[in-house]
This record gives sequence, structure tokens and C-alpha cells, in this order.
Amino acid sequence: MAASPTTSLESPRAVANKSRKATLLAAIRMALRVEGPAVRRNVQSLNRNRYVATAAIPDYDALKDRAREIKERSIAHQEELVATLEASVKRNGGHFYFARTAEDATRYAAEVCTRHGVRLVVKAKSMTSEEIGLNHVLEQEGIEVAETDLAEFILQIADEQPSHLVGPALHYSRERITELFKRHFQTDLPLDTGEELTKFAREKLREQFLKADAGISGANFIAADSGTLVLVESEANIRMTVLVPPLHIAITGVEKIVPSREDLGPFIELLAASGTGQPMTSYTSVFSPPLRNARVLTDANGAPPEREFHLVIIDNGRSKMRRDPVLREALYCIRCGACSNCCANFQAVGGHAFGGETYSGGIGGAWEAGTRDLASARFSELCTGCSRCVTQCPVRIDIPWLNAVLRQRLGQRDSSAASRAMKEAFAGVPAEDAGAPLQKLFFGRYDLAGKWGSRLAWLANGLSNFSLTRRLLEGLVGLDRRRSLPAFASPTLVSAARRLRGKPATTQAARHKAVLFADIFTNYGSPSRGFAALEVLDAIGVDVVVSEALPDGRAALSQGMIATAAKQAERAGAKLAEYLAEGRDIIVVEPSVLAMFRLDYRHLLEGEDGRQLFESLRAHSFDAAEYVWKCIQEDGLDAAAIFLASRSSRGTRIFYHSHCQQKTIGSAAQTEALLRAAGFDVITSEVECCGMAGSFGYKKEYYDLSLAVGRDLFGQVQLVEGHGERRVLVASGTSCQEQLQAGMQREVVHPMELLAELIRPAGAERADQVRE
Amino acid sequence: MDLLEQFETAAREAAATVERIPRSPNEIAAAVTRFAPRTLRIAVAETEGLPSELFDSCRALPGVFAGRSKKEWSAAEIGITEAFAGVARTGSICVAVDQGDTGYASLLARAHIAILASEDIVERPMDLFRLDRLRGKGLRANFVFVTGPSATADMGPLVRGVHGPHQLHILIVV
Repeated sequence: MAASPTTSLESPRAVANKSRKATLLAAIRMALRVEGPAVRRNVQSLNRNRYVATAAIPDYDALKDRAREIKERSIAHQEELVATLEASVKRNGGHFYFARTAEDATRYAAEVCTRHGVRLVVKAKSMTSEEIGLNHVLEQEGIEVAETDLAEFILQIADEQPSHLVGPALHYSRERITELFKRHFQTDLPLDTGEELTKFAREKLREQFLKADAGISGANFIAADSGTLVLVESEANIRMTVLVPPLHIAITGVEKIVPSREDLGPFIELLAASGTGQPMTSYTSVFSPPLRNARVLTDANGAPPEREFHLVIIDNGRSKMRRDPVLREALYCIRCGACSNCCANFQAVGGHAFGGETYSGGIGGAWEAGTRDLASARFSELCTGCSRCVTQCPVRIDIPWLNAVLRQRLGQRDSSAASRAMKEAFAGVPAEDAGAPLQKLFFGRYDLAGKWGSRLAWLANGLSNFSLTRRLLEGLVGLDRRRSLPAFASPTLVSAARRLRGKPATTQAARHKAVLFADIFTNYGSPSRGFAALEVLDAIGVDVVVSEALPDGRAALSQGMIATAAKQAERAGAKLAEYLAEGRDIIVVEPSVLAMFRLDYRHLLEGEDGRQLFESLRAHSFDAAEYVWKCIQEDGLDAAAIFLASRSSRGTRIFYHSHCQQKTIGSAAQTEALLRAAGFDVITSEVECCGMAGSFGYKKEYYDLSLAVGRDLFGQVQLVEGHGERRVLVASGTSCQEQLQAGMQREVVHPMELLAELIRPAGAERADQVRE
Repeated sequence: MDLLEQFETAAREAAATVERIPRSPNEIAAAVTRFAPRTLRIAVAETEGLPSELFDSCRALPGVFAGRSKKEWSAAEIGITEAFAGVARTGSICVAVDQGDTGYASLLARAHIAILASEDIVERPMDLFRLDRLRGKGLRANFVFVTGPSATADMGPLVRGVHGPHQLHILIVV
């Protein structure tokens, strides 16, 4: 056998099971080194195509609501649906088997094959069959299995697990496929183009299709009322698999069942658009086997065999997922892969790092936890909670929330009872979160660091630049020493605002009343952004006060410290409710905090009161620039007259990078509109996330990945600037600013800082430059 | 834009070729000959909604074969089938797979020629799952949406022509 070009540590199989963190880290290194470029090209292409395809569906949002409703109803009535489906399949003349476990399913399929003397099975791509390890079992019975999806064909030769739900071999570049085929088939045929490779595989597989005794497929959806399967593909290998051999076995998860054929419509439109970004893929088969009226082709003379069909519905952990309020959400998943494609981390490493033995990407953790065990979901650490997938999921699953819960559960599982009790007793960590390791506790309670760091700023800032301190921090909490740390501010936003602004003069005439929420990142880390926002709000006549500094829960939630986040949300929520009662809108400078109010608090504020508070927070909280743009439009003001871009000392040509969560909650476009209205020439970034993602990029073990993601953003800046002069770098998020600053080695400003300068009288001192 | 034009544009975007022709047996056979002048192996599937006579001239073309030999079917160059519906938004055609040879003729041949009646074009894929569309034919249990020729991106760049037809030619009979 030819020597493998990669070492064993770099074989994807060796790092498929990431129950141990060390394996996860090895997988990231392997992926960045070997698979990164192909993954990035292919995944980003799917991502761009999806945006185009979904935009072409006029009722996209309504369609998603319908799909979600059908899935909720289906999972709620699962037992009845299984019974209905069984009756339908039998009525059609097929066989039905419900498999509780993976072993039940594979045994049944092997028995059917053995009974029919099957020697060769052609198989269509099926994640479910990967999950249950079907090929291995059939091969042990002496049955040859030919994977016929070209991606699965590659993986079968290479002995690798899928790296993506839809494109299981998209980590392979054309060059690597050529190399693999030449080595495996020992051929001198020219295999240097996609066409040549495809022709080669087609000819091999055409023989198999004609020779096969049985075809095994999965299913994308099944209608209970008629036993109708939907199978979506482009290569026609699935059509061959289910039509050419007389024996067809379909094996699929119980969650794929929907009540009726009418319910299939929305999914057929959503799956292709969300998955490959096509209006429709080449073939969407809708059929209710066995196809008794479709003739069977034969080689021999005499009567051809009758068509026979078996439907194997598997549970394999799904009924347990159904009883779990969080994992249940994953059962709605239609496996389109949109959450992988729009994920910046996934784009950089793919599913061999951001994935388990079968399932990958944002939703993959919940699936591995549900069908295998919790530890198999450790790769869900790579979900930074950036939330870009939330609006891309066709069935509206809040995937970052699922991953936060998995993180909390993994912490509980990994820690000893003694260490939990210690943390609970001495650090006041709620019992549910006490499993969090030191690193997560450190990042999760940034509010404490900020509070003490800013009080003792002279000491803390001095220390934090001291190499011994950095070594200690790296050793203790895994804070990468290559990252520069944001300085602790003194004075903080709140203390300085109190001194400078005194008691707010309530101007009765003000049309807009608001409170600037002193989020911990702005308050302790970059109060200049807060001051700039106050100056801008003053300039357009908003009556604005500054809140006290309160942790909002974002830092804790991002570390899976959900109980801590909920406690903080409750306190912050109560305070914000007071401002709402005064008729004040809530303005937030840090987008990740705004996303808490508009998105995440629905999980954290409990009960009916909590739900109501969340609804009013969602309606009345705004990004600073979003709010300014709203007021300007409502009041019919001329932005260019107030903020004259040409006065900018930095220049009028800017490169703006909006924050991931800001995009998700729909408050990014307003910043661009405002800056353009002020007269700036704005070019925007086209990346989903900068890669820093809050604390993620600060962690030693993820530093390289974070920079790999960041390089897309840096590359866009360089590309844009390659066509002309330098642009002012503008970013809305604190961590985006840090990342962009680190990558480009120059100043990055917040939109409010850019605008505030334009309204300041010449020579005026900036409020935050007043020192104590 | 009416449904017919919308369909034609979308089908071409999906890499199918489209022609509008008069609804007669000879016109269809002539279009087949124009598309594939020297074809040796042609499979003609049964009609269902369209009158069977419409395919008569096709059945008389040289090279038409019948039977159920895998070998013969696998070497087919042209497969001719009816499309019982077209979808304007996506340029898809819908072909029955549960009768006779329609499944094979639309799958095993190198090129697939589909005959679509202009009145059978619906707006969107979802319409195929509603009983009230296509004059009551809208909720079929066995068919395939065909959108362009078979294709793959698994080997690197996009390649058209994998296990299914390498070309899809749609004849819209008006």
C-alpha cells in the first residue's frame, strides 16, 4: 500500500471523536494545516449562494414560520405519526420497521440483504447511515457497499468521516482528489480536471448501479399520510439507487416524518435554497415506494424480480432528545447546513474540527450529544455564539443557545463535586455554573475584573503589560499572551458622566428620551465610545441619562454560565424596566449587549412577566447609531448638516465592519446609512464575524483559529485599499476593534467616535480626556 | 412576465435548453431530430396527460428501442418523456416515475427531452403539493422535479453530467 502523505495524527478519523479537549485542539491544527483552503472556498461559496437564493423567495420569512410550525407539530405528535406512517407504507405494499437503536437498524438491514442473497449494495448519501455505522455492519456480513454520492465515494476511498452535512467531502480540493484517485486506483488516466474525475467515477459507479442487488438510501422528509419520501440531490445517484435495483431499503431518523404530503411543500423550497443556495437542486424525488408500476430492468431472460421496499425508522436517542427541552430543538433541523456555511469558525476549519463522528457545525453538537453522548459534543466549543446562524436557520432554531446549554452541561460533567462546592461557597457561583473551569469563570465574570481593574487601573494596567503577569494569566486561565489587553479605564463611563453631567436636566421639549446603558465593556474598557455617543445624542436633541454599570449576562452566557447570566439578566432587566416606565428608550454601545436585550433575554427572563419585559426590551432597545438614524429620520433632520464628514480629521473614506450579533438583530444597516448620510464614503466588510467573538480569540487554544478567521477581514481591507488610499477603519464591536487593530496595526474607531468629532467646536477637549 | 416566459428564463438559468413548438407529432419528432441529428438509441416513454398520438412520430424515428435490458437502457442516448408540470420560478419540470419507463428514460439516457404543455406551468414548487393546482393533478405521489441536467460540485469545480442526463432539452408544446 502506498504510504500515507500525512502522519497518523493528521488523519481525520483519528480526531473524529473529540470527547477529549486535546483531540479537539489536534483536529483544529490538522484542519488549519491541511483542509482549510478547500473548506473556506467551498463553504463561503455555499454561503454566498444561500443569501442570493433565499432573497429570491418573496415569502421567505413566512415560509420559515410554516416550516417551523410543521416541525413543532410533527415532533409533538410523533407517536401517532409513526403509527400512521407504518399503515401507509404497508398499504403501499412496503415493509416497515421501527429501530430503537443503531444496532437494531443495522441488524434489520443486514438481515433483509442476507435473505435476498445481496452481494452488492449501492448506497445514496445518508448522514443517518453514518450515524449508525451501517457500512461496517454490512461489510462484516460479506456484503460489498458502494457509496455512490461522489463526495461519499471520495470519503469511502480515503476512509474519512463527513466534514459537512451537505457536502461531506468539501474539505477536498480538486488537486487532493486527483492525488487520492491516482494513488488508490493506480491509474495513468488523466484525472486533472473536475470533468475527468467525474467521468472516471461515473464509469466505475455505472457498473455498480447495474450490478447492484439492492439500493440503500436515507430520506430528507417523509409524509406519514401517504408514505411519501422526499430525496434531494443533484448527481442522480439517489435516483439510480432507488430505481435500478429491485430491492430498496430506506433508513432514516424518526424526526423526518411530517404529517401529510401537503406539508412537504415549504421544506422543498427551503432546503435547496438554504442548503446549496439553488432555487432547486437538479433532482428532488417525491415518491411512495415500492414503485410497482415502474418496470424492473434485468440482464437475464425470464421474469424480473418484484420490487420490494423496506422503510427503517430509527430512534437511536431521538426520543430522549424529544424529552429534553433543549435538544428537542435539534429534531426540527432539516440538515441544510446553513448554520455551518454562515459560521466564520466553520468556514476556517470545516467539520473535521468543528464536528464529531457524523454531525458537524453549529447544530452538530446537539446531534452528537443526542445520538452518542454529551462528551462527543465537545467540539461545540467552537460555537462563539456570534448568532449569524440564528436568522439563517430555515426552522428558526436558536443554535447558539443550544451550544451554551451544552457548554454548561459539559462543565458539570467534567468537574468534580468538590470543586463545584468550593466555587459555589467561596466565589458565589450559582450551583448550575459551578462546573465551569477557571478559564470560563474568568471570562464569564469580566464585570468583576472590570470593576476592580478600573478602580486600581494604575496597578492593573501596569501589571497586565508585565510579561510575568501575562505568563501567569496564560497559565491560569489560558489568556493568550500575544493578545494585547484592553486597558482598564479610569474614570469609567459612569463615574465621569456623573461628575460631568450632574443630574440630568429634564428638558420637557425633548422629543426623544433615552438612557445610555453603561455596559461593562464600554464602561470599564472603552468609555470614550460612551462619551462619544452622549455627545452625538446631545447634538440631535435627545434627553439622555447614563445608567449604572450593570453586568448584562453576555460574558457569562458566552462561557455557558447560564445561571449567572440569568441572575444578571434579571437584575439588569429590573433596572431597565424602570427606565422603560419613564418612557426612555435604551441605547447600547456594545452590540453583543444589545443582542442580549433583543435576542437572548427570551431565554433568560423567566415567567410571564419576564416574557413581557423581554418583548418591551426588544422593541425599545437600540444600537447608538441605529437610534441616531431613527431620530434623524423621524425629526426630518439633515445628517450632513449636523455631522459634516468633510470636517473629519481622519478623512471621509472609511471601511466599516459591523458586529456579527449586530447584523443578526438587524441594526447594522442603519450605521452605514447614517455614515453615508453624513457624507462618508463607506465600504463595508463582507465577513460574517471578525473571529475575535468576545473572549474566544483571547483564549490561548483558539488564538490561531481566531487569527485565521480574522485574515478574511484583514484581506478585505487590504483588497479595498489596494485600489486607492487608506481608509479609516471603523467597527461597532469592542472585540472586533481589538481584532482589526491587531491585524492591521492601526487605529480602529467606533462610529460614534467618528461622528462626535464632527460636532465638537474646534479645540474643545474630549470629555473622557478629563482625568481625575 | 407571464409564467411561460418566467419558466423559460429560469430553466435556461438552470442549464436546460428550451424550445417552443406547435403541438403536433411531426413537430415534436422534428425537434428531436434537430436536437440530435444522428442519434442511434432513443427511448420513448409512455404518455399520461398528453395524448399518446403526440409521441407517434417519435416512436417511428430510427434508433428507437424498447425492452427491459439494463445494458440497452444504459447505452441510451436520448430519453423522451412527458413532463406533467413545469415550475415557473425554478425552471423545474415534473416527471412521473411510477409508470412504465418514464423513470429510466429521464435518468439513464445521455440526454433527456421532456415535452411540456404550456398550460401545465405552475408558479412555484409548493404548488405541486396542492390538490387545487394543475386542474386537480397537483398532489401526485410519485414524481421527480428535474431542474437542469445532473451535476456535481464534489470534484472541485461545477461539472454538468454525472449519473443522470448530461443535457436537458425541454420542448414546450403550445
